[in-house]
Amino acid sequence: MMLSFFDQFLSPTFLGIPLIALALTLPWVLFPKPTTKWLNNRTVTLQSWFINRFTQQLLLPLNLSGHKWAALFASLMVFLLSLNMLGLLPYTFTPTTQLSLNMGLAVPLWLATVIIGMRTQPTVALGHLLPEGTPTPLIPVLIIIETISLFIRPLALGVRLTANLTAGHLLIQLIATAAFVLAPMMPTVAILTATVLFLLTLLEVAVAMIQAYVFVLLLSLYLQENV
Amino acid sequence: MLSRVVLVSANALKGSSPLGAGLVQASRSLHTTSQSLAPVPSLPEKGGKVRHGIFPEEIFQLLYPKTGVTGPYMLGTGLLLYMLSKEIYVINHETIAALSIGTVIVYGVKKFGPDVAAFADKLNEDKVAKAQEVKDLAMTSLSQAIEEEKKEQWRAEGRSLLFDAKKNNVAMLLETNYRERLHMVTHEVKRRLDYQVALQDLNRRMEQEHMVNWVEKSVVGSITPQQEKESIAKCISDLKALAKSTQAMA
Repeated sequence: MMLSFFDQFLSPTFLGIPLIALALTLPWVLFPKPTTKWLNNRTVTLQSWFINRFTQQLLLPLNLSGHKWAALFASLMVFLLSLNMLGLLPYTFTPTTQLSLNMGLAVPLWLATVIIGMRTQPTVALGHLLPEGTPTPLIPVLIIIETISLFIRPLALGVRLTANLTAGHLLIQLIATAAFVLAPMMPTVAILTATVLFLLTLLEVAVAMIQAYVFVLLLSLYLQENV
Repeated sequence: MLSRVVLVSANALKGSSPLGAGLVQASRSLHTTSQSLAPVPSLPEKGGKVRHGIFPEEIFQLLYPKTGVTGPYMLGTGLLLYMLSKEIYVINHETIAALSIGTVIVYGVKKFGPDVAAFADKLNEDKVAKAQEVKDLAMTSLSQAIEEEKKEQWRAEGRSLLFDAKKNNVAMLLETNYRERLHMVTHEVKRRLDYQVALQDLNRRMEQEHMVNWVEKSVVGSITPQQEKESIAKCISDLKALAKSTQAMA
């Protein structure tokens, strides 16, 4: 059967067995557990170094009660990064292209930050709805706008990740198809298209890493406001 | 990493099924490690050797006796051509995408691989160097302590000389003090004796003077006026005689 361009985004099944759990847990296999040894091999050393540095950098602007989220942020980052990067390989399924997954990650985490803010420091949390130095006549309008902006956040988080990855994958597919179809007819144009594909792939690698980082960074910012 | 899964699952296998025990015994010839959990098996320092980045060296070694050096390559080419010709693997747009991402990956690994490996090695080496530094510092401070201890021992040996010198000093001081006091004693004694001698001298002199005075007084007292006149007349006659004699001589 012909592959349509959206088949890559179907949740994978094999003989009726859904494989989404396998797709989601595959990254776990690629990251070795840090050992109890004093000196490790290169993989474990690099992995530990990366997670240490990343967590340290991410938690710099957070105060002490925000540090409880360190494990969550680090594991979320590694999870999203590996899912995105693995999705660039051919014939793979990227779970982060599914809006359900991304909303499932974004909404509970965003809601958690809002609830923490409302419970521990309600005045400060509500105070974020009015930026400093607004002229008095604009206050009612601005509060409505800021509330809308607050509620758009989880949508934005989820849809940003979904849209970026889906668009990237779709573009790769389209340009690869163009190159494939043009190859017997106009080889030079096909080579040009292949070059475009190569550059696009580089971009997609960057986007994969950046989108994962942006997701986690924005969550840490929302936490910073509320904790 | 997987060897530890094998180790742990081996125990589970034995009791799990009727065939479990038999399988464990039968597969014993395939074991490469000692299958023991204590002491904890060490991690390999470097990853397994691979050729062309993905194919483990073991496959090449496995096929070498039967097919020589080109064996695995023939196998690979044959497999690839088989899958392509029978359309088991269909070339489509994903192939082009695979080529593209493959180029990116190979380029990335070739360009940044050695640097990343060196960085990871440096991280480990820094750890070792820190511990080594602590050890070296401890060793130098301990050897320095040994040196100082030896010096102290040498000093302690010299202490007896010091004591002797001090003893001599003290003895000399005592001697000097003793001599001083002896001198003082003799001086005092001589002074007292001199006093006694002077006293005796004085006594004798006074006695002498007293006696002389008494003798004189008694003599003078014993001279009667008659005697006095006689002596004076005699003296005058003597004088006259003497004057006549001298006149006669002159």
